[in-house]
Amino acid sequence: MRDNWSKAKRGMARFWRGLREWCGDAAYEKYRKCAAQMGQNDVLSPGQFYVEQLNRKYSRPNRCC
Amino acid sequence: MKHFLQIFVWMALAVAAATALATIALHRGEHISATWFVLAAACSYLVAYRLYSAFIAAKLLALDNTRATPSERHDDGRDFVPTNKWVLFGHHFAAIAGPGPLVGPTLAAQFGYLPGTLWLIAGAAFAGCVQDFVILFCSIRRDGKTLGEMAREEVSRRGGFIAQVAVLAIMIILLGVVALVIVNALKSSPWATFTLAATIPIALLLGVYLRFVRPGRVLEASLMGVALVLFAVVAGRWVADSAAWSRVFTLSGLALTFAIIVYGFAASALPVWLLLAPRDYLSAFIKAGAIFSLAAGILLVRPHVLMPPLTRFVDGNGPVFAGKIFPFCFITIACGAISGFHSLISSGTTPKMIQREGQARFIGYGAMLLESFVGVMAMVAACAMTPGVYFAINSPSQIVGAAPETAAQTISSWGYPLSAETMTNLAHSVGEQTLWNRAGGAPSLAVGMAQIFSTTIGGERLLSIWYHFAIMFEALFILTVLDAGTRVGRFMIQELGGRVWKPFGRLNWYPGILLSSALIVGAWGYFLYQGVVDPLGGINSLWPLFGISNQLLAAVALVVATTILLKMGRLKWIWVTLLPMAWLVVITMTASYQKIFSANPRIGFLSFANGLAAQIAAGKIPAATIAETQRVIFNQRLDAAVTAVLAIMILVLLAEALLQWHAILGRDREPVLHETPYVATQWTEGD
Repeated sequence: MRDNWSKAKRGMARFWRGLREWCGDAAYEKYRKCAAQMGQNDVLSPGQFYVEQLNRKYSRPNRCC
Repeated sequence: MKHFLQIFVWMALAVAAATALATIALHRGEHISATWFVLAAACSYLVAYRLYSAFIAAKLLALDNTRATPSERHDDGRDFVPTNKWVLFGHHFAAIAGPGPLVGPTLAAQFGYLPGTLWLIAGAAFAGCVQDFVILFCSIRRDGKTLGEMAREEVSRRGGFIAQVAVLAIMIILLGVVALVIVNALKSSPWATFTLAATIPIALLLGVYLRFVRPGRVLEASLMGVALVLFAVVAGRWVADSAAWSRVFTLSGLALTFAIIVYGFAASALPVWLLLAPRDYLSAFIKAGAIFSLAAGILLVRPHVLMPPLTRFVDGNGPVFAGKIFPFCFITIACGAISGFHSLISSGTTPKMIQREGQARFIGYGAMLLESFVGVMAMVAACAMTPGVYFAINSPSQIVGAAPETAAQTISSWGYPLSAETMTNLAHSVGEQTLWNRAGGAPSLAVGMAQIFSTTIGGERLLSIWYHFAIMFEALFILTVLDAGTRVGRFMIQELGGRVWKPFGRLNWYPGILLSSALIVGAWGYFLYQGVVDPLGGINSLWPLFGISNQLLAAVALVVATTILLKMGRLKWIWVTLLPMAWLVVITMTASYQKIFSANPRIGFLSFANGLAAQIAAGKIPAATIAETQRVIFNQRLDAAVTAVLAIMILVLLAEALLQWHAILGRDREPVLHETPYVATQWTEGD
């Protein structure tokens, strides 16, 4: 029973992580992690990153007919 | 033992697919359950994925999981981001699934359910999925290069230029035609117009929230937005019931045309975070919810398909659009079977986020199968309504007659019984003043969806809410395509203009932004206007034009894919991309020829224009409408010219590719492949 519960919890956590990644909530965390690994000092703020990411995304075809 | 069991399971699935396909193909007389459609599609897709995509992955592409992908080599947390395959599948599917797989099958239902359904299933398995998968693979091997860049490097510079022009052309025609679908869905409907108008302030509110209050918190903002949009759907009824407000939101086709043009301009010129992005978030959530609800609804309700397998309109005289099954069914249904636009997504963001080459099969081939399934569901929803009602909603008044009684009589005389009273009652039960003459596919699909949803939840009482929810869902994501496409079109014009005059190419130079926005909006706005004033309803002219341009782009993508595979030495399996490419060239060339030169004025642009010119010359057109008729003549000739240019482009590209192939096969020239060099992955299997 406990096994099933922990499996379900793990599954829900995975789903939540996936949902946050899919909708873009986790994008800034990923960027920060990547910037830290690369030793970058001038890291964008959440607001700056959000706008920069949108400008890049919507400058090429990203929604089909 | 396990191996035999697997073989048995796949054999059983193949037999189930064949049985279901045979049942829907050979069924005559009694109505057929939608379950057969779901079974035929699902089993065929599973078998195609298990066998055909595995064959392509192993033999044709030789996917290599030991090779580092662009997301590993260039991981920067911005463009190149290694992403979980399920998440990336969701991203890719959300990007490729637009209004096309819903509207195309709904329009093609005029031939009956059979041609469209077979093309959706077979077209996806053997053409659409192959294109998406192979282009994704090619782009991964080239650091995520775009289709245009690959065409330039691997085929020729002219090939790259043709791909770029084709993208701009398809963008302009696509935006014009999808805007026409919205206009036809919203005209004279205060409820639907209010609901859609309400999404603009809701999107602005979300934009400000996401920019200044909680930057980047998309999930919570979208959930608030979805709740507000659902409230707007309900509030639309109060607006429609109030005499004063109803007048404000009851707009004619022309008024809606200008409103949408102004909206497109604003969405292109305003900062992306303010209107475009938040609308896209709303649209993505509602799209996912509505598509899964429709699938669940069809499985629960298992409606009967009332449309016959083949209607009398296989003869080419259909009221929705004119033309025979070949080639018009194959260009009307583009996105659910094969869509050139997908190749832009497969060579856009997805290759920069994929973790392993092996995942290209699941994402490229698998996501397209799911899109095709959406197309089959749209076909079921459209064919589940009485054929008479379907034709009443989708036929222009110039064909069936303006008065309800006359129209009902015309449709009944085709063998699809209908009374004017049925249409009046249906319009009242969905909360509309009228459902006659709503060509474009959106309203008939909304009626079909509302009937399926209301059978599951709420019954007759909620029919009007479900109808307006479906209209809002379709219009919302059509508007998303419209504003995202306008913005990308603006960038393309700025890039082209920047080659002539440098300041124009600067993306932050405001006069350049305004001018390029005006140019792109003016271009698609002209097609929209032309569709609204077209005496044959617009869809008859514009949807085939859109289909031709979309399939042209697919042909470009498959030419690029075939050239790359030949350079890789995969001659033995080259038919995998060569056959769908040849099929697309045949259908686009045949459709182009017929649209330009057919003697039937409902098909041929030139014969329609010449017929009108002859009527003016013979004095048969009243003086008051001569100017308007001359505009229609000009539009028809313009459409003929656009179609001719598209056809010439594919012929030029094909000639370029044939020269290349001849050189490669004759070993006149050593093939130069522009792949990035092999770098072994540093990730372990579990990463």
